[in-house]
Amino acid sequence: MRKGVALLLTLTATAFVAATAQAGHRAAAAQTASISCKSTMKIAFVTPLTGGAGFLGQEQSSWAKYAVKTLAPKLGLKIQLVLGDTPVEQGPAPAQALAQKYVADKSVVGILGPSTSGAVAASSQTYFAAGLAHISPSATRTSLTKGSPLEATAAFLRVVPGDYIQGPSDANFMISQLKVKKVVILDFQEPYSVGLADAVETTLKAKGVTTIRLSAPNTTTDYSSFVTKVPNDADIVFFPTQKPPDAQTFAQQLLEQGKKAKVFGGDGSNDSSAFKAAGSYVSNFAPDITGIKADAGIIAGWKKDNPGKPVGSFGPPSYGAVQVLLSAIKLACNADQGVLKARHDVLRHVKQVVIKNWILGGTFKFSTKSNDPLNAKFYIFQIQSDGSYKLVG
Amino acid sequence: MDTFIQLTVDALTLGSVYALIALGYTLVYGVLKLLNFAHGDVFMVGSFIGFGTLQLLGGSSHPVVPTWLLLILVTLAGMAGCAVLGVVIERFAYRPLRDAPRIAPLISALGVSFFLVNSMQLLFGATPRTYDTFSLSNGALYYRGIDIGNVRVPLLRIITIVSAFVLMVVLWFLVNRTRTGKAMRATSFDREAAAMMGIDIDRVIVFTFVLGSALAGAAGVLFAMRVPTQVTIGFIAGLKGFTAAVIGGIGSIPGAMAGGLLLGFAESYTQGYISTKWSDLFVFSLLIAFMIFRPQGLLGRADIRKV
Amino acid sequence: MTDSTPHSSHVPAEGPAVGQDEWVARHSERRLIRGGPLGTVEQRLRGVPWWAWLVLFTAAMSLLPFLSSSGYVQRVGFDTVLYMMLALGLNVVVGWGGLLDLGYVAFYGLGAYAYAVLDSDKFGIHLPTLVSIPSIVIIGALAGLLLGLPSRRLTGDYLAIVTLFFLQLFQTVTTNGDNMFGHNVTGGPNGILRVDPLHLFGHNLAVEHSGVFARSYYWVALGFFFVVYVALRFVNHSRTGRAWRSLREDPLAAETMGMPVSWLKLMSFAFGAAVAALTGTMFAALNASVFPLTFYFTLLIIVYTMVILGGSGSQPGVVLGALVVSPLLEMLREPSKARVLFIIALVGGSLIAFRISKRLGIVAGGTVVLGFAVHAIAGAIDSSWVAGEKSGGVGGAIAHWVVVPAHLARWLPATTYIGLIVAALACSLARGRLRIALVIPTLYLASFVWENVMLTNPEPARFIVLGLVLIGLMIVRPNGLLGERRVEII
Repeated sequence: MRKGVALLLTLTATAFVAATAQAGHRAAAAQTASISCKSTMKIAFVTPLTGGAGFLGQEQSSWAKYAVKTLAPKLGLKIQLVLGDTPVEQGPAPAQALAQKYVADKSVVGILGPSTSGAVAASSQTYFAAGLAHISPSATRTSLTKGSPLEATAAFLRVVPGDYIQGPSDANFMISQLKVKKVVILDFQEPYSVGLADAVETTLKAKGVTTIRLSAPNTTTDYSSFVTKVPNDADIVFFPTQKPPDAQTFAQQLLEQGKKAKVFGGDGSNDSSAFKAAGSYVSNFAPDITGIKADAGIIAGWKKDNPGKPVGSFGPPSYGAVQVLLSAIKLACNADQGVLKARHDVLRHVKQVVIKNWILGGTFKFSTKSNDPLNAKFYIFQIQSDGSYKLVG
Repeated sequence: MDTFIQLTVDALTLGSVYALIALGYTLVYGVLKLLNFAHGDVFMVGSFIGFGTLQLLGGSSHPVVPTWLLLILVTLAGMAGCAVLGVVIERFAYRPLRDAPRIAPLISALGVSFFLVNSMQLLFGATPRTYDTFSLSNGALYYRGIDIGNVRVPLLRIITIVSAFVLMVVLWFLVNRTRTGKAMRATSFDREAAAMMGIDIDRVIVFTFVLGSALAGAAGVLFAMRVPTQVTIGFIAGLKGFTAAVIGGIGSIPGAMAGGLLLGFAESYTQGYISTKWSDLFVFSLLIAFMIFRPQGLLGRADIRKV
Repeated sequence: MTDSTPHSSHVPAEGPAVGQDEWVARHSERRLIRGGPLGTVEQRLRGVPWWAWLVLFTAAMSLLPFLSSSGYVQRVGFDTVLYMMLALGLNVVVGWGGLLDLGYVAFYGLGAYAYAVLDSDKFGIHLPTLVSIPSIVIIGALAGLLLGLPSRRLTGDYLAIVTLFFLQLFQTVTTNGDNMFGHNVTGGPNGILRVDPLHLFGHNLAVEHSGVFARSYYWVALGFFFVVYVALRFVNHSRTGRAWRSLREDPLAAETMGMPVSWLKLMSFAFGAAVAALTGTMFAALNASVFPLTFYFTLLIIVYTMVILGGSGSQPGVVLGALVVSPLLEMLREPSKARVLFIIALVGGSLIAFRISKRLGIVAGGTVVLGFAVHAIAGAIDSSWVAGEKSGGVGGAIAHWVVVPAHLARWLPATTYIGLIVAALACSLARGRLRIALVIPTLYLASFVWENVMLTNPEPARFIVLGLVLIGLMIVRPNGLLGERRVEII
């Protein structure tokens, strides 16, 4: 067996050296910081393609691919989209490793995502130090751009509003439209839901609504005992889950136990194929774009490339993010007269991007005070008896 | 009082599923003295096999057979599929290690568990899948049921509890009233002596795995009938099933049943009356306490280590 | 029984040497002296002292930042060094103490969180590094002692479960630690951010320069690794180490001879935990943050694979294991590199299984021919069946040889994957000509599945590889690459 060991060692060493040399060679060859705008530039999309949130990444990447395919030629740019996988179960490590990878690759001029707030917090410093703009289509955690300490850096931008808008907007809807007196709020002991639940609770409490706060471990699958704790006279259960089937189950179990409360989901619960309990509510940072006439062409084109898949709600913001990033690259290229001097040139021009007939409706502009979109709002839908989502707020 | 009844119903439902999983652990441990870490993931695969069968039979919105037949077929499919899986795992991952140091099959089990979870994720993605039993028979499974006081116990929960109970009775019968069951008990008592008495150890072990894995598969289907399933549930389910087995006394079949129910009650009442956040912690502390102060569990035999 | 004739090149039978005295087993290996120049070289190499190897190895590793200027490669190197340290620590518990500790990465997390709490803006404490790191090592050791307490009464399997529960406990506490009796201790799921970098020799060691990984951290990590290796080696060659060995070989005999068994077990836990905690501090310092999810089951399996692959009980072994597994995992993330690795694995595996022989030729030739045949037939039936995206690069050749359909039917990945498993298992059962006949389509199917199913989903695929490695190792070679064969006395 010693021969086998020697063989294995030799193979390993060879592979190691080869990989190192290859990677090193590539990096060395791309040492020159300036990039010609006529060459193929790369943008990297950091999103969970596998794991618990894999459906998010798959949906977003299909729209991002379509956006790069259609928009890059229109802007006269040659763009290659690279995908980086950050499964949520592995925590921040994949995001940090990918950040290092893309920072080292000089042909990467901009980053899409990271899609999950945790990944942003873990890698924003690295991107900022390297001058790479990272635009996220879905990381909505408030503390990334507001509050103290800020979890993200000045290089982080997002094209969707943060949870600090979602929380109060949901709460205000509940108060003004649904006239709630008692609300049960659930969180899942992870950043997204805890942040959102906190925001909703604060707003409701300030307006005098009775709130009951429950907390479920992230691994919970059976919510029966939580349903038991919902008082018979509660009006709404705020259930910001990122797994739409769980929201559906919870709604069914409420009915099972004869409780009158309705489920109110966050943007993570949007999925008309999985969450369709009639009478429930969902909030989202985007309206259903199939209702926007200007998007008909985009939708038709995307559907051709992705037959049989529903339009979804996480995908279109990714299209929008690509649009913003490519526009920023174009602006930087114009300012630098065809040769991008450095990556942070893209960053410097990002906030100047204005897009009319934005895919999510209206005109897109960044807010001057923060790296969030200006005047972004959340939309609230009610699930009808046929399972469709109707805009109500 | 209503809360109490509701929580008790929840406890029984949870507990029956835990009991089924715990039985699988106990059976395998009794015969092989091996903690099958992959057992929780067999449970998970069972729920997915059930899901697949459900889709083949038309899905819950347009089933091609009446509801009662649908549920039975799905459960049987889960049990059969898991039985096959269990046998394969035993044959290829544990049997070659039967004479190896005790640590070897444990590590192999870790590898199998890892392999199963990631294979399922590779093939079916990580999105939760739901059986959507709500749509069956126009929600009859949720709306119809028995009323206890002000609380209605839905049909689905009754089905879960009763099916688990029936399976446990069948198991008891198989273990205590058949020849192979006797051989199994003999092997778990003393493997070498059983071999010397002419019992085919390999067949007994295969039989054990068939039983244990089939029960895990049934548990998976019963579980997924009420709650969406995903590839990550195996780990926690395995831990809890093992806790139940140890609390009840590992190696003892009535112990596993008792342990499972006890665990269900502990979890349900803790979540209901004390706190939802720390219920896991409480359950673990219960386990640690048992292991330190009463390692043979509730109904197990105190292990006399023969020199 | 083995055939131990002197001067024969016959290698002893593999697997646990049951019923054989350990001294005899080792001695019979020693008698296989090779003649000729190769033998002389081997003898000379055996004579080189261990510290010379260590110095040489560390010196070679420290050249990495000069071989590659890519921050990414250096970062992977840093992670590998951390893994080496973790493997060394786990080796103490599993390899020397013989205890299956499934909660090991919780100590890693403990060290990281402790550093984050003691050296960050969280509570405003900023202890100097030279104070915090030794304190954390001590905290880790104490935690190890604490976890080891139940081990006194529990045997192997039970201990494994209790330690696994400890891991789950750690996970629960860190995830819920943002509301412990009203105090935010661990930052909850958001973790702790803005952790201080290391502060050595008077100034802060920056973790990055313009976003690129700072090389100094790599060398600091290597330094720690060197110290840990030497320290553990001295422990192993002391009375404690010898006591551990006797405890591992036969606990009952050890107890009868008056060894303080409980104390020894506690010591092994403590040492392992201390090393893990130390590694944790480095991790937290470089990442400037800690999150709960990092320290969980997946990481545990990775470290275990390294230890088992390298050979538990052997320090150079586990270091080698880490050196192999860590870059392997990273390379498997990228399809182009993963393809190359796959080819190496197939070729290497065939060589080891069949050695240079006619059978190897038949298998290799048959597979290649089958591939071309299937490609031609598939292309003839429907051109979209071979029209999928193919990439170039070194591994590109295989992408062209195997069939890559443009669109995968929904049932295809599952059926081919399960089919591959069935075929592989059947191969292991078959013998002789039937085996060769089965191996050829299996190899082709493996290439197909790898290319179309696994490379499209590299994250779970690499863990599947890891799981298979673990299972395969335990069955074929439980002592790993450089470990000693455990002898179980019946």
